Amino acid sequence: MTFLFNTGRTSAQGTGLEHKSGPEYREATSVCRMNPVDLMQLEIEAGERIRAAGPGGVVVLRVAASDDIPQGTVFVPLGPYANAVVGAETHGTGMPDYKSVEVEVEPTDDPVPTIDQLMEAVGGLAYLEEER
Amino acid sequence: MSDLLIKNAFVIDPINRINGEIMDIAVRDGRIVEDVGQGAEVIDAGGHLTLPGGVDSHTHICGTKVNFGRYMSPEDMRAGREARRGVKHSISGYSVPTTYANSYRYAIMGYTTLLEGAMAPLEARHTHEEFSATPLQDVMANTLFDGNWGVMEAIRDGDIERAAAIVGWTLSAVKGFGIKLTNPGGTEAWGYGKDVTCIRDKVPHFEVSPAEIVEGMIRVCELLRLPHSVHLHCNNLGKPGNYACTVGTLNLAPDLNEKRQTLYATHVQFHSYGGSDWKTFCSKAEPVAYTVNNRPQIVIDMGQVMFGKTTTMTADGPMEFNLYRLHHDKWSNHDVELETGSGIIPVLYRRKNLVNSIMWSIGLELALLVKNPWQCMLTTDNPNGAPFVKYPEIIALLMSKKYRDAEFATVHPDTGSKVVLPALERELDWNEIAVMTRAGQAKALGITGIGKGHLGIGAEADIAVYPLKVDEIDPSTEYQRVIDGFAKTKWTVKRGRPVSRDGEILVHGENTTIWVDPKIRPERDISRDPRFVEMFNHWYSVRMSNYPVQDEYLRRNLRMETEAAI
Amino acid sequence: MIHRDMICPFCGCLCDDLVITTEGNEVVQVDNACTLGTHKLMGAWKNRLKNPIMRDGGEWRDASYEEAIEYAAGVLLDADRPLLYGWSSTQGEAQGLGVSMAELLGGVIDSTTSVCHGPSILAIQEVGHPGCTLGQVKNRADLVIYWACNPTEAHPRHMSRYTTYADGFFLENAFRDRKLIVVDVRKSETTSIADEFVKVKPGGDYAVFSALRAIVRGRADVVPDTVAGVSKEQLVRIGAMCKEAKFGALFFGVGLTMAPGKYKNIRNAIELVDELNRYTKWTLTPLRGHYNVYGSNEVFTWMTGYPYAVDFSRQIAFYNPGETTAVDILARKECDACLIVASDPGAHFPKACLEHLTKIPTVLIDPMHTVTTPLCRCQIPTAVNGIDAGGTAYRMDGVPIHVKKFMDLGYPSDTEVIGRIFERIQEVKHP
Repeated sequence: MTFLFNTGRTSAQGTGLEHKSGPEYREATSVCRMNPVDLMQLEIEAGERIRAAGPGGVVVLRVAASDDIPQGTVFVPLGPYANAVVGAETHGTGMPDYKSVEVEVEPTDDPVPTIDQLMEAVGGLAYLEEER
Repeated sequence: MSDLLIKNAFVIDPINRINGEIMDIAVRDGRIVEDVGQGAEVIDAGGHLTLPGGVDSHTHICGTKVNFGRYMSPEDMRAGREARRGVKHSISGYSVPTTYANSYRYAIMGYTTLLEGAMAPLEARHTHEEFSATPLQDVMANTLFDGNWGVMEAIRDGDIERAAAIVGWTLSAVKGFGIKLTNPGGTEAWGYGKDVTCIRDKVPHFEVSPAEIVEGMIRVCELLRLPHSVHLHCNNLGKPGNYACTVGTLNLAPDLNEKRQTLYATHVQFHSYGGSDWKTFCSKAEPVAYTVNNRPQIVIDMGQVMFGKTTTMTADGPMEFNLYRLHHDKWSNHDVELETGSGIIPVLYRRKNLVNSIMWSIGLELALLVKNPWQCMLTTDNPNGAPFVKYPEIIALLMSKKYRDAEFATVHPDTGSKVVLPALERELDWNEIAVMTRAGQAKALGITGIGKGHLGIGAEADIAVYPLKVDEIDPSTEYQRVIDGFAKTKWTVKRGRPVSRDGEILVHGENTTIWVDPKIRPERDISRDPRFVEMFNHWYSVRMSNYPVQDEYLRRNLRMETEAAI
Repeated sequence: MIHRDMICPFCGCLCDDLVITTEGNEVVQVDNACTLGTHKLMGAWKNRLKNPIMRDGGEWRDASYEEAIEYAAGVLLDADRPLLYGWSSTQGEAQGLGVSMAELLGGVIDSTTSVCHGPSILAIQEVGHPGCTLGQVKNRADLVIYWACNPTEAHPRHMSRYTTYADGFFLENAFRDRKLIVVDVRKSETTSIADEFVKVKPGGDYAVFSALRAIVRGRADVVPDTVAGVSKEQLVRIGAMCKEAKFGALFFGVGLTMAPGKYKNIRNAIELVDELNRYTKWTLTPLRGHYNVYGSNEVFTWMTGYPYAVDFSRQIAFYNPGETTAVDILARKECDACLIVASDPGAHFPKACLEHLTKIPTVLIDPMHTVTTPLCRCQIPTAVNGIDAGGTAYRMDGVPIHVKKFMDLGYPSDTEVIGRIFERIQEVKHP
């Protein structure tokens, strides 16, 4: 199913900012909030996982249900998971399409990657074992 | 610091009554001395015109609104770009240059001391940061008090000593130099989108009038024994018919100080308008000049408009909004809580525009009609009237009737019926120009005592050698040579060190910030006054302990302590 | 020890009334800060990288400051087109050094502005900025609009210090007298306390601004029954509230800068505020995210003329967002070295940019292990501004505040480290 992809700041993501190698940050930024009706249509439940594919790539996220999210959109907090699907096109403004890409979403059993795994996938080298 | 000897200088030093003598100037450790030894570096001025370094008594170069003007105008940046070379940083900007651009261009013109026209105390830190990046001129800041809540309340209550205590504390806290009032009362009214229309209007809520603010602050200034007088941007700037308000305001000033003026009215061109609307708009430079001529306690500066693009920026928020409604280009505004305001809009002054042509005439009229050059300084309210790089052209216009006539022939054809400029024959001479571009400014600012504005023994060795041989030029006809001559010095010396030569910047520079610290009796220390502290705790958005400018923001600085009478 | 009137180094609110209690080199209590600031101050004296680290082949190893600084200088000197990015969470003094360094190297310097409020600046460069200091809002505003932002979560004390819950000099009963309008695409913590919640369809802000401008000008007749999901009736009501306010303050966030239209959304917002100023008093303020991102704009501007994305490769300052902005330079694989200071592009840049970062020598100056750490080849930990370093920061409204240090943990500040790298560079490339 196609959804409009929205990102933004949240309190949890913000408190995690000062300790990005910690579990709170990873938890906060790898969650994808969706409208319960959309979840029903995808035939998944909160806590299960989806694969989102966008112009920048593909990533696995955990879903949470929220009435506040309009149908047809998904909300993922600003962070490395959201940026795995956002493309680098800025239309000459310097600003990527953080709030206006479309993603294809489908349920998956694949695990949510760790941040280290995300970074190593682009050629990085993890520094410490990510805290569990 | 090494010794320097400038030989064969054709010196005009109005403060020391030297009016064209060939002499040598000896410098040691940044000051002018009797003579120096054999090992001195020698500069041969070759008989060229040598003046004290230029002093600009009103220019907008550093601070919040100036920087606003910069970043909202990338097109202005592109219009004045130069590449990095040697010690010289890359520079940008035409009417709102970057700090290095300002500093280099002023240095090339021979200017060594600058007064930033407006600094809001709350944002003083910003001004000081930019001062550090304007390294070839000594700098000081006019501190805005026109909408200051504590001051307005004290004046309303008739408590001038309290007002002085607040002003004194604030100047010391933010390392300011003097008292600036911009549209007094009007900037506070603009907090709710209003303005004041005449000097007797009461400011909403605070119930003081601009006249009371001006009179009160004049007395505050003398109580604090500040080197410079109150520096005033009158109400009603830019409005047809505002000359009456200006004259009314100038008439408020008593004569309280024997060393200098009691009131400095700035960019008076913008305040000398007749008529009642844009159609009947005309020059009233004559009555304004007449008032100045009869009141030695008043000094003004021109605020000359020159044709072309520029950026207007002032603390006069409501005026800028009205100007925006006329020009319909971009507009920025920045009101500062409990203190003042500001507005910025880019403008284009055009010869084809009758009002602009009249404005251009008025500035020149003021300079020609005010008899005593010590009472009329040459400025453009940079950049409001024009970028300061146009000063040489203004000098040439004042020295040459022929040039004025040639220019007048190119302005709007109906201008002649609205102004008196064509009838003015006067041509200023070299001495008068020297007064209006440095000696007069130094005296008006009260900084001759610290060695600025003159070349006597003990003075700061701020010296400008211009490629002009006074005996070989007739400024009345060879105005282009005058322009070229004042545009680029052969040598600009700052504190005894050559900083520019034929337009080439030689050093990175290390300037001095000049500030005033009024010494007030401990019983009148306003920072212990519960009402003052409460104002901070409740209404400012910054804590009182975080408000003052910390010492680290001042590098080299000159603290002028005064013995306040409170 | 109790430290009063301390400045919080987190968001653009730059609260300066914090009370921090320390015991030796530990922060044991923080009062007056929000959850974000408290977390930072309670945690950021720990969780720090102990020393510089460098990547050798497939492994990380410890390194000395000397070696890391030498390496950083070398990387920058070798590069043809170095990118110096970040700058938003460090002191102004360091930002200035960054500019001078970029100028000497002929490189590009950009700050996090380009992926946050860069579009706001682009709009300001088209139509100007009708703003004020936050104390003006606090003392006067009887109508506050939060548009496309969620201050309750991202700027938690904004409302209690500057708007809805703050005392105001001209307001008898500020909380009761102030009205709050919140515009967003979704319900949030902030929308739940609004007097009027305007729910806009994603991407519809521009149309809503245009509709409001028409209504304010007395042309409600051209507005259709719904605009981007908002009823005309609500729009007319909002328009009337705006015109009747004595002092309106519009705050907006990345919900506008990142949505389709980007800087055009902001431009429309500014023009609405300009229009309202013909009837009453209105101001507009972008909710800056980092506590000193505005500082990077101020410093870059007075030194170069441009607020971000400054390219010195031509020996002049050259500015062209879209070309000289970090995301674009990385996506085009144009830079051959990168110095990242006080920011975390690993977390905030699109993946394609990160792929390039790992291919070029990237040096990171940051106190902590962040998402960018795995992407760099050398990380140099420095002191945290506001804890063990001090310096100037500019609040979201332009007010400069001196951020104070209250602890010494043995780390050099950003200013010191960048200063030393710059010295090395100047030894080779004489100015």
